[in-house]
Amino acid sequence: MLELYTSEPNTFFLKPLIALAEKPVAFSMRYFDAANFEQFAGAFPSDLESSLHLEREGPLLVHDGTIICNSFFMLEYISEVLPGPSLVPAEPYDAYRARAWGQYLGAHLGSIVPVLGAAKYLQPELAAADAARVDQRIAAIEPIERRVGWLAVRDGTYSPSYLDAVKERLGAPLKRIETALNDGDWLAGPGFSIADIDAYPMLCVLPDLAPAAVNPQTTPRICDYIGRIAARDSVRQALSAARTRHPERQFVPGIEASRWG
Amino acid sequence: MSVILYHWEPNANSGKPMLTLAEKGVAYESRYLDLLQFDQHKPEYLAVNPDGTIPAMVHGSRVLTESTPMMEYIDDAFEGPPLKPRGAEARWRMRWWMRFFDAYFAPSLSMIGWSIFVGPAARQRPQEELKAAIERIPLESRRIAWRKAIFNEFSPAELAESKRRVTFATHALEQHLSRSPWIAGDTYSLGDINGFNLGYALPLSQPENCNDSKTPHIMEWLRRIYERPAARETWAKGRTQMASRIKILERTPGA
Repeated sequence: MLELYTSEPNTFFLKPLIALAEKPVAFSMRYFDAANFEQFAGAFPSDLESSLHLEREGPLLVHDGTIICNSFFMLEYISEVLPGPSLVPAEPYDAYRARAWGQYLGAHLGSIVPVLGAAKYLQPELAAADAARVDQRIAAIEPIERRVGWLAVRDGTYSPSYLDAVKERLGAPLKRIETALNDGDWLAGPGFSIADIDAYPMLCVLPDLAPAAVNPQTTPRICDYIGRIAARDSVRQALSAARTRHPERQFVPGIEASRWG
Repeated sequence: MSVILYHWEPNANSGKPMLTLAEKGVAYESRYLDLLQFDQHKPEYLAVNPDGTIPAMVHGSRVLTESTPMMEYIDDAFEGPPLKPRGAEARWRMRWWMRFFDAYFAPSLSMIGWSIFVGPAARQRPQEELKAAIERIPLESRRIAWRKAIFNEFSPAELAESKRRVTFATHALEQHLSRSPWIAGDTYSLGDINGFNLGYALPLSQPENCNDSKTPHIMEWLRRIYERPAARETWAKGRTQMASRIKILERTPGA
């Protein structure tokens, strides 16, 4: 049996939904409302790896009882084990590039985009909810790294100057992607791959969250790239998992930024 | 096609491709860069890797600069014993633990290491020279890291948090290795190569966290890797005291 524990199809949650639709394979959807803390309330599958929450918040794939977590490595797992076209490039150097993008984008966009999204949409949503209940839910989150991601939405961390600094950090990864798209339509070799499935969910929300950084004048290739991927059937199908009218406004705290500065 | 590897000591990121190439039996041309002389920020090397990070591998016309995906490339592109397990679940587990090492364990351990080793070693040199060297670092994030290390700017809170994480991560690793002999399960893999480069000196640098009574599975796992010919060969390439720390893993006769 194949079960996907997911919240609204955006950022980390959108990735496996696209990969499963690219294959395509049937699976059982286990939906939870992340902004309403349902992932802390229900009986969720848990083991050593998933309980460490390296990604802080994200999807879980449960395949015949085995828990697969981390949204990038989940894509490789889906590609390798399920029937259908491979999503990892066959050529070793292209596969290297796909994995190098996964590592780089996780550390960069994965720690930046969720902050901008949470500041714009999650923060006001939580502010409108029952404060005592929200604080109580957050206080119970383990491990501490995961809790800190939620606390930042509540404790005034997201000041205008903090958010400006976060937006500054967008510059380097966007430049790297824009440059890479000079060489072709896709990030890792001649075909659509896990690198593109990893990048798209973080990029497609940026025209809304950081319009000065991502727009047809500043980043024409990224804008075309977003449009190219958005037009795929798999993306349309993945978005049909949405239960709100605006899944692109549903954010969770993302990967922790480097503690080195 | 020839393989050229730009690396520092067999340690952390540099040691990952070194040990992987040795395990595969791939001959390579070694270009040693002295991290403490900032060789990695000199123009000759920036022409290879404009980010100025080490290691970098050049295979024919291909340049690889991310050490963990580089290990997978070495396994994919060369003959020799496979270093990834056969099953998709085991491969997923290998990759998950490599990310845990790279993104969680290593940054905390290296912050401590830089504060007690890299920083003081670099500070032997004139301050003006150091400032100029820092200015030449291409990546902003690396400039910040070097500035902190060289001028001893890690705050007590940052170091305390790193120590907490190292203790926590060591405990998680011990738990994992009590379930299976190797990182990916039943077979030695890139996950073990990655973890060994991170952890070979833990019994020396973190004796209160990592020792035969508290972490017997980690100790046994480290010794098993240390006894592999490829590890012997790789650590023999070390030029500083750093690499010789590996001798802590020698089994005591009769113990």
